[in-house]
Amino acid sequence: MNLLTTSLLLDIVFLTIIFLNFSRKNVQVAYAYGLQSLAIAAIMFKAYLETGSQPLLMLVVIIVAIKVIAAPIFFVRLVRKHNLAFSVSTYMNIPLSLIVLAALTSLSSSRQLAPLVNLVPANSALLSIAFSGLLLSLFSIVNGKGALSHIIGVLSLENSIVVFALLAGLEQSVGLQLGIIFDIFTWIVVATMLASMIYEHFGSTDVSDMQHLKD
Amino acid sequence: MEILIITLSLAAAILVGGMAKQRKNVEIASVAAGIVSFAASISIALRVSASGTYAPSAFFSIDALGAIVILIISCVGLAATAYSVPYLRAETEKHIIGFKRVRQYFMLLNLFIAAMYVAVAASSPVLAWIAIEMTTLSTVFLISFYNKPASMEAAWKYLIINSIGLLLGFFGALLYFTSTNALGDGLVSWQSLLVNASHLDPLIVKIAFIFVLVGYGTKVGLAPMHTWLPDAHSKAPVPVSALLSGVLLNVAFVIILRFKYVTDASIGPAFAQNLLMTLGILSIFIASLIILTQKNYKRLLAYSSVENMGIIALGFGFGGLGVFAAILHMIYHSLLKSALFLSSGTIFLKFSSTKIARIRGVMTALPVTGILFFVGFFAITGAPPFGVFYTKLSILTAGIASHPVIAIAALAFMALVFVGFFQHATAMLFGDKPEEIETGERSVWLIVPPLVLLVIAFGLSLHVPQFMYGLINEIASK
Repeated sequence: MNLLTTSLLLDIVFLTIIFLNFSRKNVQVAYAYGLQSLAIAAIMFKAYLETGSQPLLMLVVIIVAIKVIAAPIFFVRLVRKHNLAFSVSTYMNIPLSLIVLAALTSLSSSRQLAPLVNLVPANSALLSIAFSGLLLSLFSIVNGKGALSHIIGVLSLENSIVVFALLAGLEQSVGLQLGIIFDIFTWIVVATMLASMIYEHFGSTDVSDMQHLKD
Repeated sequence: MEILIITLSLAAAILVGGMAKQRKNVEIASVAAGIVSFAASISIALRVSASGTYAPSAFFSIDALGAIVILIISCVGLAATAYSVPYLRAETEKHIIGFKRVRQYFMLLNLFIAAMYVAVAASSPVLAWIAIEMTTLSTVFLISFYNKPASMEAAWKYLIINSIGLLLGFFGALLYFTSTNALGDGLVSWQSLLVNASHLDPLIVKIAFIFVLVGYGTKVGLAPMHTWLPDAHSKAPVPVSALLSGVLLNVAFVIILRFKYVTDASIGPAFAQNLLMTLGILSIFIASLIILTQKNYKRLLAYSSVENMGIIALGFGFGGLGVFAAILHMIYHSLLKSALFLSSGTIFLKFSSTKIARIRGVMTALPVTGILFFVGFFAITGAPPFGVFYTKLSILTAGIASHPVIAIAALAFMALVFVGFFQHATAMLFGDKPEEIETGERSVWLIVPPLVLLVIAFGLSLHVPQFMYGLINEIASK
């Protein structure tokens, strides 16, 4: 695999984040997250092919098992259990969201953030895309009203950080990465359970309906 | 060795919580783990005081700052666990919770405490991040414990806001790793970051510290990232609120301070100090305004935590004597705020409300708890002879020469906090109690934990033991 392959995989990550910002079908959002995670696993698999590190291969397998297979299954079950086929609306309409996304994407290529994307000069274009993915994921959480879009936004933010770290050569030891993956898995379980409990209490997963903390 | 004892004892308590058939066994295991952890923490503090940083394994390294915060975790942790026993029994008597919920509570409580120990003792920023994230995950279901819409909402806000914050903090931490590219097993330690700080790109360090401050600052409850804190602290069971307010905020602050040391070593102290001062004064300002008009006494205590985290940030921002005072303030605040939260729990059990307007005549209805709450209120707002008076004075003195406007503004906001607190505390404590409320304390075991915390705070206000003094001095000299 070469830089072109990495670039293609990163494009998939970036496009799925754009998709998360606009899709109104929750099942599609869940699968988009799975696809995004698969692209990241593929980037890591590339690193395995280069190094031949067995622990790294094990990590890739675990990432596929948790982020590509288990997480979307969890989310789709949540969607089916509560009939949440369509996600609730966003705070901003589509044209305004597009303008913000464009602004955030160009911000990541700005001179002020040049030190960040030039951490590895050979990867500066890729790092710029990875960093804009981080900003766009953040926006999807802030802009979304649905609990599921919050959950997937947070996970997408984590994926963006992982891909940035991979491209900047800042990845951690396999042991620590396993710890992080375990944390993420626990997070997915806890967040999904809580979202389900919220639906049972509020009859919806629209977080803007939650108005009980006014005192 | 001590860290192993602490984690094993807490793990045993979690296991007993999961398997025990009798409530008594769950309670005994948890309190015993608290006692063992407390003893081990004192041993750690003495060891660090005598021979410097203590690194029992590659994964753990405890310096003076870690030793002080571990002491805080163990002390407040033991008090909160001990208080949980009669508190949850009272709630069971009121048919609010059953045995299954009690088991879940103690399991999550012990997991939460264990995660805090690991976060502070971890030798690696990534391991510390994993542990801090675990504190969030273990407390989500403690915040939603009462299964009511408001507690669900608080838990959701807590989970999402803190997770975003921690991810941003993690991103900031990764940026610091650009200086350390040859580390063998890939375990980047705090020490290696410090040693390699001079190799960092100054612009990267600045961006990294901003991410860390915003990220972990969310967990600390610094304004404007504090929005989750009053909700979570007011909806959790009171012993958990005591731990969230009195301990967890400090644990997250430790992480910020560790990155501050690396930042200072790379680009000098001014950058981090200015940011800490800005967030510090903003936190005090926002908290003072909200405290003045607060209607819920648990939220009042939560906003007081925002104020006190602001004061600590201000102390580190001013530097010099301010750092010494900020560490002492951290200790006093932990003890006093936890005592206040625990006392508020007893008030809640009696009056069944957290609304200030519905609480009258606490001094008559709960004579001992009323006194504890009154003393705690005076102490936390900085009335002499309690140590908070000295630490606030020292922090303001440290800032008055270099940043007089900020110091004077901080003094004015602290005065507002006193007025707000005084108004609410006197309204709750004095006057005639409602006729339907019976006079008398529910159990002596609801009095002992907050009383002990207040006594320790008072004792430390008069005299700081030599080993603690040495530890605080070592932190201040960094």
